[in-house]
Amino acid sequence: MRVLFFAQLKDATGCDSIELAPPVSWNTQQLWAELLQKFPGLAAHRANVRLSRNWEYAAADAQFSKEDEVALIPPVSGG
Amino acid sequence: MEIEFQLVHEAIAERVSPPPPGAHGAWLEFRGIVRSEEAGQKISALEYEAYPEMAKREIRRLLEEISSRHPCLAAKVIHRVGIIPVGETAIYVGLAASHRTEAIALLADFMDRLKLDVPIWKRRALPVEDKSRKNHVPLAPSVSPPGGERVAARSGEGKFPAKTSMVSLDEALAGIQSHCRLLPAVRAVFEECPGRVLRETICASEDFPDGDRSTRDGYAMLQRDESETFQVVDTLHAADWKPRELKTGETVRVATGASLPCDNLQVVMQEHIERTGDQIKILRRESATNVRRRGEEMRAGEAVLQPGVRLGAGALALLASVGCTRPLVGPRLHVCHFTTGDEIVSPDRKPRRGQIRDSNSILIRILLQKFSCDVEQARLPEDFELAKSAIRNRQSAIDNADVLLVSGGASVGDKDFTRPLLEWLGFEIVFSRVNLRPGAPLIFGIHGKSSVPANQPVGSLTPAGRIRVAFGLPGNPLSHFVCFHLFVAAALVRLTGGELPTFRRGTLVAKLEDGPNSRATLWPARLQAAGLQPLAWASSGDVTCLAETNALIHVPANSGPLAPGAEVDFLPITIE
Repeated sequence: MRVLFFAQLKDATGCDSIELAPPVSWNTQQLWAELLQKFPGLAAHRANVRLSRNWEYAAADAQFSKEDEVALIPPVSGG
Repeated sequence: MEIEFQLVHEAIAERVSPPPPGAHGAWLEFRGIVRSEEAGQKISALEYEAYPEMAKREIRRLLEEISSRHPCLAAKVIHRVGIIPVGETAIYVGLAASHRTEAIALLADFMDRLKLDVPIWKRRALPVEDKSRKNHVPLAPSVSPPGGERVAARSGEGKFPAKTSMVSLDEALAGIQSHCRLLPAVRAVFEECPGRVLRETICASEDFPDGDRSTRDGYAMLQRDESETFQVVDTLHAADWKPRELKTGETVRVATGASLPCDNLQVVMQEHIERTGDQIKILRRESATNVRRRGEEMRAGEAVLQPGVRLGAGALALLASVGCTRPLVGPRLHVCHFTTGDEIVSPDRKPRRGQIRDSNSILIRILLQKFSCDVEQARLPEDFELAKSAIRNRQSAIDNADVLLVSGGASVGDKDFTRPLLEWLGFEIVFSRVNLRPGAPLIFGIHGKSSVPANQPVGSLTPAGRIRVAFGLPGNPLSHFVCFHLFVAAALVRLTGGELPTFRRGTLVAKLEDGPNSRATLWPARLQAAGLQPLAWASSGDVTCLAETNALIHVPANSGPLAPGAEVDFLPITIE
């Protein structure tokens, strides 16, 4: 599973992406637990961050599996 | 509905062509312009970034959704990313609808939704006040700006004003990553490929193997043929292709690798056969069929290599076997490397008292080999004016270079002129000190017009002004080694593609004898099967530990000595 970070989350994590290996799949809680363990600095952003799975916003009950491209989407500011 | 979406790095054209005449009676265009103020601060530019694949999908989704309320007949959306100067267009939207009221409602709705859902961000504002610092003020309030831990310049210490803005390791890496953009890919023949990064997906051209093949020298017959004796009806060598249906009681003699004449065969090893004339008898039956089945290794059309792979002998062998003789790869980088320092003598000379042999040139040359670079190296005199004229004599090398490396002269001592030299060459200095040892006085600069758009087509680069990034490396060999693997390698990867160097977790097998230090440290180490053995080093000038170093341990600031068994982050290093 590739997890991408954008905008200020790159500063919070110091990288633009990481590889994670869920045993089978993770739900949202499990994915966050894994991310926060690796990057405690993300905790401050969590409330404002949406998750995407394979280029679409993920539903609250989404399952994230090995082959997925996941991204942490902080509040957007395009245009 | 015709939807066109582009993310571009260059200025958006003054005129964007409308869709061809059709059912639409309104073509409404909107341009969002970068204002001269952001959050009450005067700015010179904004930097945007995007998540391209998702932005594209979101824009389509939004347009389709809004279109159910206000029918949209065609749409063109162009968003610029990277650094956008004040007054220039950040977004262009053109929408076609039957009538103006629909078009106007559509645009208002679309822009509102875009600002909520489309993954594009204002990354930083570039302030105008202090041109000397070129520091970027992050827009996100939670992050302290690079240069926040700025070291006070000590007046009178150097000939050049000491503009020393200190950044952390993470900030330095983020700065490099945000300024180095992927260069256009090129097609290259095999000989030019080693060390370059594949930039396309390679698919199998046909099934491998293309038919069932024998893995033994022996005799092929139908599976589950229980005959006592078999009639040998043919002999097949490795290159033969003689299709025929075998009947019960028939067999063909086959060599290892031979294509079998039909499906559903097995091969019995010749060692298990007794042959008399054209008759054979099986002495021992095996469960193995001794056959490689068609497509067992690769199926036609199956992706066998993904973009991002750095090509070596094995990958090239795979490309050869699928007939891809001119893969799309990252470009060959031109690197110009200058060493400075009057105390440096050539390695084949005996240094006088106070001099040292040049070890950095070979170090850099070999380290660059892995990245498939053309390297031009030269010595610069340790005098700013003389150095400038030496550079003028090498103008063509500089014009052709993608990356400029300058060894030595990165501190703020009397003769340390790397920073003014880079500025003289037109580089903007992004940072000039990293809170790290060894390697603190590291300078990173970008050429004014250097951020080459990722989507720029091949061939559109003008030969002049090709330098894009520059590093001023601290002169000591150990600092060189650390800065190359951490920072220069990251820049080279961002320019040509591939995996960024990443830290791994490991365990110390011996004590790491460090006192508490206010700087983060990259500690040379030997990675063994049992774990990491920290190596002894006293100063950044140490060269003795380099021969053994195959890992750099990250020791965070103020962590002091680390006990055996401690878990640490380390950067693995391939020793060529």
